[in-house]
Amino acid sequence: MDGKVRVQATINGQPVEFLCEPRQSLLECLRDVLGLTGTKEGCSDGNCGACSVLLNGRLVNSCLVLGVEVDGQEVTTVEGLAGPDGLHPLQQAFIDHAALQCGYCTPGMLLAAKALLDREPEPSEERIRQWLAGNLCRCTGYDRIVRAVQDAARRMRREADAHAEG
Amino acid sequence: MTAGAVGESVRRVDIEAKVQGRRRYPQDFSLPGMLHAVVVWAGYPHARIRRIDPSEALAVPGVLAVLTHEDVPVNEYGINIYDQPVLASDKVRWLGDRVAVVVAETLRAAERARDLVRVDYEELPIVDDPLEAMRPEATLVHEDRRSNLLKHIYVRRGNVEEGFAAADVIVEGTYHTPFVEHAYLQPEAGLAYIDDEGRVTVICAAQWPHDDLRQIAHALALPLEQVREVVPAVGGAFGGREDISVQILVALAAWRLRRPVKMVWSREESIRGHGKRHPFHMRHRWGATKEGRLTAVEIEAVLDAGAYASTSVPVLENAVSFLAGPYAVPHARIDGYAVYTNNAVTMAMRGFGATQPPVGYELQMDRLAEALGMDPVEIRMRNLLEPGSIAVTGNRMPAVTSARETLRAAALAAGWREEPQGWRRPGASILRASHLRRGIGVACAYKNVGYSFGFDDRSTAIVELALASDGSIQSALVRCAAVEVGQGVTTVLAQLAAQTLGLEVSRVRVALTDTAATPSAGSSSASRHVFMSGNAVVKACRQALEKRDAALREESGATRIVAEATFRGHDVRRTTAYDIVDGHCEPHISYSFGTQIAIVEVDIETGAVQVDRLIAATNAGTPVNPRLCLGQVAGGVHMGVGYALMEEFIQQKGQVRTARLSEYHIPTVADMPRELESIFTEVPDPDGPYGATGLGETPTLPTAPAILNAIHDATGAWITELPATPERVWRALRGVPAQPAAPARRPCP
Repeated sequence: MDGKVRVQATINGQPVEFLCEPRQSLLECLRDVLGLTGTKEGCSDGNCGACSVLLNGRLVNSCLVLGVEVDGQEVTTVEGLAGPDGLHPLQQAFIDHAALQCGYCTPGMLLAAKALLDREPEPSEERIRQWLAGNLCRCTGYDRIVRAVQDAARRMRREADAHAEG
Repeated sequence: MTAGAVGESVRRVDIEAKVQGRRRYPQDFSLPGMLHAVVVWAGYPHARIRRIDPSEALAVPGVLAVLTHEDVPVNEYGINIYDQPVLASDKVRWLGDRVAVVVAETLRAAERARDLVRVDYEELPIVDDPLEAMRPEATLVHEDRRSNLLKHIYVRRGNVEEGFAAADVIVEGTYHTPFVEHAYLQPEAGLAYIDDEGRVTVICAAQWPHDDLRQIAHALALPLEQVREVVPAVGGAFGGREDISVQILVALAAWRLRRPVKMVWSREESIRGHGKRHPFHMRHRWGATKEGRLTAVEIEAVLDAGAYASTSVPVLENAVSFLAGPYAVPHARIDGYAVYTNNAVTMAMRGFGATQPPVGYELQMDRLAEALGMDPVEIRMRNLLEPGSIAVTGNRMPAVTSARETLRAAALAAGWREEPQGWRRPGASILRASHLRRGIGVACAYKNVGYSFGFDDRSTAIVELALASDGSIQSALVRCAAVEVGQGVTTVLAQLAAQTLGLEVSRVRVALTDTAATPSAGSSSASRHVFMSGNAVVKACRQALEKRDAALREESGATRIVAEATFRGHDVRRTTAYDIVDGHCEPHISYSFGTQIAIVEVDIETGAVQVDRLIAATNAGTPVNPRLCLGQVAGGVHMGVGYALMEEFIQQKGQVRTARLSEYHIPTVADMPRELESIFTEVPDPDGPYGATGLGETPTLPTAPAILNAIHDATGAWITELPATPERVWRALRGVPAQPAAPARRPCP
């Protein structure tokens, strides 16, 4: 097995088993081993946030996590955002607010925003700006992204309320 | 009938795929049997290569080849002149020179072997300052040239001595702008393979794929027909992908080894390996009457061209035409110099020689206003170019000249009032704390649209119509290699086609850029695609409609109509080169104008500057897609804020000091203005498609000088060297000079 390690994890809700070198990052495992290229490499030293994913619901830079560390853990990537009923409210809000241009930072931006809204359903604009400051974008000037996240938060609260009432 | 036509903010055609991570960028492609290639970079910024020994590297299991200059059929490339070696042979001239390429079965093997390629260097003295480099005794970067001066361009208009004699006030200033990194989020990557028709094919990010082809074919000594480039999604470009990066290297490896070869640069390689925006050293001397009318300008600018020419000459040409600003001035003496050094190659970056000049001319304008006790809007209004004005290069400005409209719109939005005695600024606002100072600053700027100075700029589009039996159009396919780099050109071209064909935009498809399937549209640069490719698409659509009508008249029963059209910039305005005697010329095809007003808060204890509010008035002619236009403004302002406050690519003795994004800072969401107000003045460009024109670059230009002028308004300090970091502002407020670690600046020659 050439010194490779067997890893079992849940990725986007699916049980997955793969082999990786002990030195490989989660980012490399996702992209090169599992073919999940939606997660982007922007710097590989934790400075740009393009590779953001959720590890057990927590926001991480997948370039700073080793593949072997996710054994027995749950990982969510951009490929796992949309559900059977369609796009995630954040994805829809990014479309409605034109919150991207080149789109390379978008997967990481979406996951970072999801991590925030999952724990804080009603963040202030200031809080959104502070939270997203780890994700760089070179195209949009961020304003549309902030608006999209605010809008998605509203939609998600409405959905949650409807669910609670139903 | 024409849902999604011109003027509607239709959704980007690529947005659904992008929010799902399904849109593929160059590094997302793989092929069976693919090899991995890595670059051996220059070990020194200036050194002679004595010997390259690949034997140890070749012994690493999995390594198939170490390619060196001996493997390159024609070892030269370059976007304007072939002055760069594909792989360095005798000498390296900057840290971005490539010495060898290691190709292996796995990336790990290639990386391991890279460290084992032995290159024996003889270090040479480094020329790292363009002003030093101009001295006759300076070390030569290119030994086959007599000096390091790449190009001197000048303009002589009227008689400056006479102009200064007529001035009631003269203001002088020196200004310095830094190297700037593009910092697109997607680092360079490419995958090359031999396609089924025997062409060496490169999947990569590019701005002008057909121009890449020319350079790849030249280096590989192949006919153009045997080379192909496919451009998938591109993760930002901003000028940084105009020059060749990985293209020739992967093509060479795939051609030699007859297997697919992939190369992906790390962020550090990206920062090291591609060029930067030119640093400018500018010296200005301006005279004006007491009524605030310009009488004369004398300007010198020295550009650091770095180690190779790249597009330094056209950047210099552009800069010289813009150095005096969008103002009418009767007497001018302007000199610009581009100089080789061992610093990073300098190249196109959003603005292309129009980004640095406003840092000089807009501070000069405020200095004049201050010296005369005039309002900064009023003094600009008295001098701005208008349609029919004679520019500094002797040409007459066209109908789209809208500087005044943008200034007026921004000033009104910021609270200025137009009174009988002139424009008057809003009163001071209330401070939040005693250590904070608020200020307001205004800046105007302009930029060419399309390629300039005699370049035969053109774009070609092919339109294919699918017809129903009654001749009605079912759908349209547009083939035009206008690269989508994020700006939204694909969507805009679809809208222009929809408008012309009277078709819903959802029925128009724009083909992916592939040199084997889409004709050359020219470069995704110079804010040119809306104007150039937009006109080409409209022209092709009109021809297709004529053909369709003819087919209907002839009852030919045709179900498919194809039309091809080329739009030439010279059909609108024939540009010319600088005249050898006085520099007069018809510089540009068309223009875009913008004004911005910044309201900043300066912390006088720390020197930190926060932009509270920014008003951007931009002329895009008639906007094709207002929401995409807003995206260009917001993104442009982002780069302008970075330019003003934090971005500086630093080299010391040719070594990169800002190698990572932890050292080279671009604005995060927390650094952006709290409030951005964008206004489009909508002065139509009669030569653009449906009155539209380009705006991709203009929103970047006024941001930095508006912020610098606001800092002065808040504190009284002139910051004349970008970026206005807290340390620079703090020192300026206290009159404390910079530490000797920062290189001393000398006046221009």
